[in-house]
Amino acid sequence: RALVAPSLFEGCNCFRQRLVLSTLSGKRVKIRNIRSKDDNPGLRDFEASFIRLLDKVTNGTRIEINQTGTVLFYQPGLLYGGSVEHECNVQRSIGYYLEALLMLAPFMKTPLRAVLKGVTNDPTDPSVDLLKVTAIPLMKKFGIDGDGLEIKVLKRGMAPAGGGEVLFTCPVRRSMKPVHLTEPGKIKRIRGTAFSVRVSPQMANRIVDSARSILNKFIPDIYIYTDHMKGPCFDPTDSNLYFSSLFQGGCVDSTNQSLSLLYMTLGQQDVSKTLLGPLSPYTVEFLRHIRDFFQIMFKIEQQKPGEDEQKGGEKVLMTCVGAGYSNINKTIK
Amino acid sequence: MEKKEQKRHQHKHSGPKADKKNRKKEQGTEPERDERKRNPRAFSVQSAVRMAKTFHRTQDIKTKKHHIPLVDRTPLEPPPVVVVVMGPPKVGKSTLIRCLIKNYTRQKLSDICGPVTIVSGKKRRLTFIECNNDINSMIDLAKVADLVLMLIDASFGFEMETFEFLNICQVHGFPRVMGVLTHLDTFKNNKTLSKTKKRLKHRFWTEVYQGAKLFYLSGMVYGEYQTQEVKNLGRFISVMKFRPLVWRTSHPYVVADRMEDLTDPEDIRLNPKCDRTVSLYGYLRGTFLKNKCQVHIPGVGDFSVADVSFLPDPCPLPEVIKKRALNVKERLLYAPMAGVGGLVYDKDAVYIDMPSGHGSQQQEVRPTTELVQSLIGTQATLDAKMAASKVSLTCLMFSVLIVRKQNPMESREWDERAQRERRRAVFADEDDDDDDDDDGDGEQESDEEEDEEEDDEEDEDEEGVTTLKKHDKTAAETAAPPVKKQKCEVPMEMPAFADSDDELEKSEEDESEEDESEEEEENEENEEMEEGEPAKKSSGPDSGLCSEDDDEDEEEDSDTDEDGDGTVKSKMSSKHPEEENIDTDDAEMEVQNGHNLEDLAQKATEAYLRHQLAAPNLRKLVYGTVAEKEEDDSNDEEELGGLFKVNRPEKSKKVRADAMDCSRFQPDNSHDWDQEEVRSSIRDCFVTGKWEEDKDAATLLKEDEELYGDFEDLETGQVHKAKTGNKDQAEEAPQVKLDDDEVQKNKRLEKKRRLKERFDAQYDDGDATYFDDLKEEMQKQAELNRQEFEDVDDEIRVQYEGFRPGMYVRVEIPALPCEFVTNFDPHYPIILGGLGPSEGNVGYLQMRLKKHRWHNRILKTRDPLILSLGWRRFQTIPLYYIEDHNGRHRLLKYTPEHMHCGATIWGPITPQGTGFLAVQTVGGIKASFRIAATGVVLDLDKSVTIVKKLKLIGYPYKIFKNTSFIQGMFNTVLEVAKFEGASIRTVSGIKGQIKKALRTPPGAFRATFEDRLLMSDIVFLRSWYPASVPQLYNPVTSLLMPVGQKETWAGMRTLGQLKHDLGIRNKPNQDSLYKPVVRQVRHFNPLHIPKELQKALPFKNKPKQMQAKGKTPRDLQRPAVVREPHEKKVAALLDALSSVYAYKNKKARAEQHAKHKEFLKQKEKQEAERQKRMKEERKKTYRAMGQKEKKKLKSSLKGASKDN
Repeated sequence: RALVAPSLFEGCNCFRQRLVLSTLSGKRVKIRNIRSKDDNPGLRDFEASFIRLLDKVTNGTRIEINQTGTVLFYQPGLLYGGSVEHECNVQRSIGYYLEALLMLAPFMKTPLRAVLKGVTNDPTDPSVDLLKVTAIPLMKKFGIDGDGLEIKVLKRGMAPAGGGEVLFTCPVRRSMKPVHLTEPGKIKRIRGTAFSVRVSPQMANRIVDSARSILNKFIPDIYIYTDHMKGPCFDPTDSNLYFSSLFQGGCVDSTNQSLSLLYMTLGQQDVSKTLLGPLSPYTVEFLRHIRDFFQIMFKIEQQKPGEDEQKGGEKVLMTCVGAGYSNINKTIK
Repeated sequence: MEKKEQKRHQHKHSGPKADKKNRKKEQGTEPERDERKRNPRAFSVQSAVRMAKTFHRTQDIKTKKHHIPLVDRTPLEPPPVVVVVMGPPKVGKSTLIRCLIKNYTRQKLSDICGPVTIVSGKKRRLTFIECNNDINSMIDLAKVADLVLMLIDASFGFEMETFEFLNICQVHGFPRVMGVLTHLDTFKNNKTLSKTKKRLKHRFWTEVYQGAKLFYLSGMVYGEYQTQEVKNLGRFISVMKFRPLVWRTSHPYVVADRMEDLTDPEDIRLNPKCDRTVSLYGYLRGTFLKNKCQVHIPGVGDFSVADVSFLPDPCPLPEVIKKRALNVKERLLYAPMAGVGGLVYDKDAVYIDMPSGHGSQQQEVRPTTELVQSLIGTQATLDAKMAASKVSLTCLMFSVLIVRKQNPMESREWDERAQRERRRAVFADEDDDDDDDDDGDGEQESDEEEDEEEDDEEDEDEEGVTTLKKHDKTAAETAAPPVKKQKCEVPMEMPAFADSDDELEKSEEDESEEDESEEEEENEENEEMEEGEPAKKSSGPDSGLCSEDDDEDEEEDSDTDEDGDGTVKSKMSSKHPEEENIDTDDAEMEVQNGHNLEDLAQKATEAYLRHQLAAPNLRKLVYGTVAEKEEDDSNDEEELGGLFKVNRPEKSKKVRADAMDCSRFQPDNSHDWDQEEVRSSIRDCFVTGKWEEDKDAATLLKEDEELYGDFEDLETGQVHKAKTGNKDQAEEAPQVKLDDDEVQKNKRLEKKRRLKERFDAQYDDGDATYFDDLKEEMQKQAELNRQEFEDVDDEIRVQYEGFRPGMYVRVEIPALPCEFVTNFDPHYPIILGGLGPSEGNVGYLQMRLKKHRWHNRILKTRDPLILSLGWRRFQTIPLYYIEDHNGRHRLLKYTPEHMHCGATIWGPITPQGTGFLAVQTVGGIKASFRIAATGVVLDLDKSVTIVKKLKLIGYPYKIFKNTSFIQGMFNTVLEVAKFEGASIRTVSGIKGQIKKALRTPPGAFRATFEDRLLMSDIVFLRSWYPASVPQLYNPVTSLLMPVGQKETWAGMRTLGQLKHDLGIRNKPNQDSLYKPVVRQVRHFNPLHIPKELQKALPFKNKPKQMQAKGKTPRDLQRPAVVREPHEKKVAALLDALSSVYAYKNKKARAEQHAKHKEFLKQKEKQEAERQKRMKEERKKTYRAMGQKEKKKLKSSLKGASKDN
């Protein structure tokens, strides 16, 4: 009688969100009809790899997958952490796995030290470098700081072969601090990395030149590192991408929207506020899942840009009261 | 309290004290001199080290007073304070509650049944709960009590319950405890009384804290405590302050004061043991309660909430806080289970007390009591109807039954059995009732005066009364009212529905005058209410929805409307069956009230449109799962400027379900960043762009000038004025005309604020510590928490932050065991304890545990124990362990006597740091002190780390030098292979190592040792074997026990109990038995040393032939001496002379001694004189030195003061 029926989901969309939130909330999850209509039904290799990673960082997790892989039952254990080494599937880049680990890492029993091996950069997922420069400062805002927190690219690896290596370490925290990130601030300088693999080193320099030519119109203080054989791809189209993300604006970039929202949800029972750019579909799904797992709803207010301001598009102010979540995994001495 | 008249102090006029005083008066000057001045040396720095120490100490004490600042999360309108009245039976608990209630509200309660909520002051409400003498109730109530009134029978002294309860409180966070001594009138002797008081007080202090409040209730007057004393106690209660307790501030909880069974009676008829759906009512406390969260009901189990809704406060605080004291109208009382105000809420019915007598004659003409009338009038038919069409009538889930009686419920009425019977045969046993009630008439009369007082207020509360009655009427008219609405309404109007005859008369008379004209109005009002009420429900699975949408659907689904049928239907199907039920009910009703349909629809659409305008579309986009029309969607997209392209779930759902899981947001490429205009749209994001008004460097500079622009050149005397202000004005004046004043005012305010900020920064930051900063931060956060949702409508607000503490909520819980309803006893507290995320799961808990020092037995590993942890009480099997120095958790067989040890259990996941207590049984009182152990949760895990020492024993069967072949330790070669290289040891302490398995005999192995073994040696291998914790988690379901047997819950028995009960005795080990010690007498043969050896031995080692001495021969015997007479004389003379000489000597010595003594005395005297002289001299010099130093100090002080 004590156990509640598991939450039911369909399809492999938002696979990571569901498992991560289930792990954090301790609620069991059953996902059905995973690519049941597909020619190649069931879980893909990268999803299986992700489940394996979750199993490594937790203790007592129960996973049941049916014969065809179209039904997954997940009963979360307790987050354990410690030293973990994982061979990530090359179908997705390490960013795919790292995003989930970023969400879980502060709530482990022992500080996490994960070595992820696989593809460091690919077009579908946020690259490791992106997460390194955006997620880590964001986590610091929530009170996760200290020497332990870092993402380090040990080796770079490209799509078909993989071979990249990323070290992610994160200290554990008892609770998250409420944040008020409502002032995006101004851009003072631009730093970037251009890398090239298995082409002439000159290519990287050319990339830098073209990027500078565009960015210089706004601000002169630009420095882009070149990294031959290892090092994110920064080409002229990327600087346009950069502009559009600026146009969207907010205090948190689009890839980390869900991370910041999760930390806000798991904070103490205080009001947290964050200014975001337009919500990505992924974030919208994430918000729905947060409501399902934690019964937390966000107050979403749109902020129309002022008349004479030239700061890009509309912003969204997200406000919520934290769930009063505390890290139940951390041991007290 | 009696106070003895004391004599005034008499000043002494003679005697040593008076002399001393006179002397002082004469000298006059001495006493007023400053201590510091008089004796400066005493206050000078004697030792720098000591000074540093004292400084550190004071600093330590200062910092110790700091607490970690916490965000103040107390709600603006706090829930009533829970006052638990606790004490052993027959100590006067009910009397005290009755007296206190009478003191606060001037009302009398005959039976204290369930929580009683009253308004005690302008800002405070109290909920009184009586704690019965059951450890289950004690544990549950200790978890929710804000204040405990601990009643102690002074004539008897402390009882164990008191101490047990105090210990329970200590474990679960100490609420305020106030002791109340009763039965003080039994003391005849004043002296013993005061002595007893003192003794009890000091004992109480050691338990609670030094100086804890202990109240004395001296005696009873007419079965009540003295008014003045009760008043004093009431004052103490109403000014008491409470501190937040960790568990309670992090978990929501409800102390249910009302219970209702919502199960479909048809289901119950088919299966009386079917699971029940129950709604519980009560004030929410603790923290925010989320809809659909998990709750634990202590004594029942874990459940997930189906629906939460908030109701209007049944016992509200006065709205305006201007008056000095509450008037009678505002002193409300709310006790649904105790039958106040003529309404008694039972598990599945509400009883209305109809006072008969003079009221009964006028009832025919009263329309307000139409329902009552109709029911009374058609008794038999109704009975028949009920019998015939049980389904249709019971669908109400709310059967209004009328019991005609003369006075309110009596205690015996709460006999559950009787009540149930009465309910079943509605009017059959009416006569019996009357008979019963006649007994209570006398009491009723005494209350009448008070009732009359109440009348006035009731008259003014007409509105409330009428609304309720309208409801009753509609219930009669339609015969199928929407269920929930009734439930929402009734508690709100409860307090207005007082039980006095006069009140009913008046209100009814008033209405009878205008009833015809009112009838139609009533109809309308009724509809309005219906319209308003579903909003409060916000039920169904789509809690994320705006509630208005819900209403709309509910109201519009009966008539197929413009909103698109398919979508509505799909939504309907996702609803609870029960809710659908309600919907159909609604529909039925609407069909009956057909003419109102148009109106309703119109209103609904209006509401919908209003909502559409007001509600933010983004929210709906994210959370709203309701299907909207196509146009709506496209509109949304247009409104959002093409930013949100969220596919609706309905659209091509299959494709979306298997979409790629990727967080990357590919922004639309509608902007062409090569164009200058597009680029300039983000120009302000860079430092090179334009800054905001309040951050722009130019404006900041200007402001600085404004602030600091004025200065006077001291040399020339010229005054420089800041001119920018004027300039600004001059420039802006023509432009801004309309709100010039406003702008100016704002500017001034802004300027002031900035000035203040700067001032603060300049002067405060110097000594602002980390602590101060933290405190300020917390305060800011608290302010933000308050403000953020302040102006949001409650309907929406509860969706964002959950139901906030202080709200009166109705919690619907499905699938409760039927025993909860059938064995319901309002005397036992029902608590809904909210559970945090993942607290509903089960796992291994590591805890630190200590056997309670008053529990007289140690605890055994693997004996079941009942733990109270978090909200729960459950039985589990603990394994005790102790941590070795290397971090190993070694299993213990028993808990240590006076030490903490570890314990691991299989139980509900509870946050670390939560305290718990353990009892061995909850049924009966077997132990002298029932609390067996206390402790705290340290760690949660899904695996266990406890190990048990296991010694494997073997025997050598072949020994070569240091190598031995050992057998008997293992059984197979494989087992040995597992242990190759393991270190082994013999009992005599020779260490060794397992080398290799031997083929034969199986399990034998070769081992090497550091020395040669003997065949008699025993070899052992010390290993650690992981112990497994039995997975027993058995919640104590004491509330499900039959009435009267609730304290007899028995779970799993311990091994000892089982053996005792079954009469099994273990056969003891024969070797362990004590037998009389029989010792053999040993014979030792004489030692024989060969003659040769004897010769060679030294003398001392040679055996000696000791022979007995023979008689001395006569010739060796000495002869006796006989003196001559002369010799005798000489000897006598010599004797005499020597004695004379000795005497003389002695005398001379005594003389000498006396002389010397005299001399010493003399000398001492001289010495003393000398000392005195010396002292005088020293004093003189010291005084001189001191004055010199003082001068120096004074001058230096002066110097210092100058510096300052």
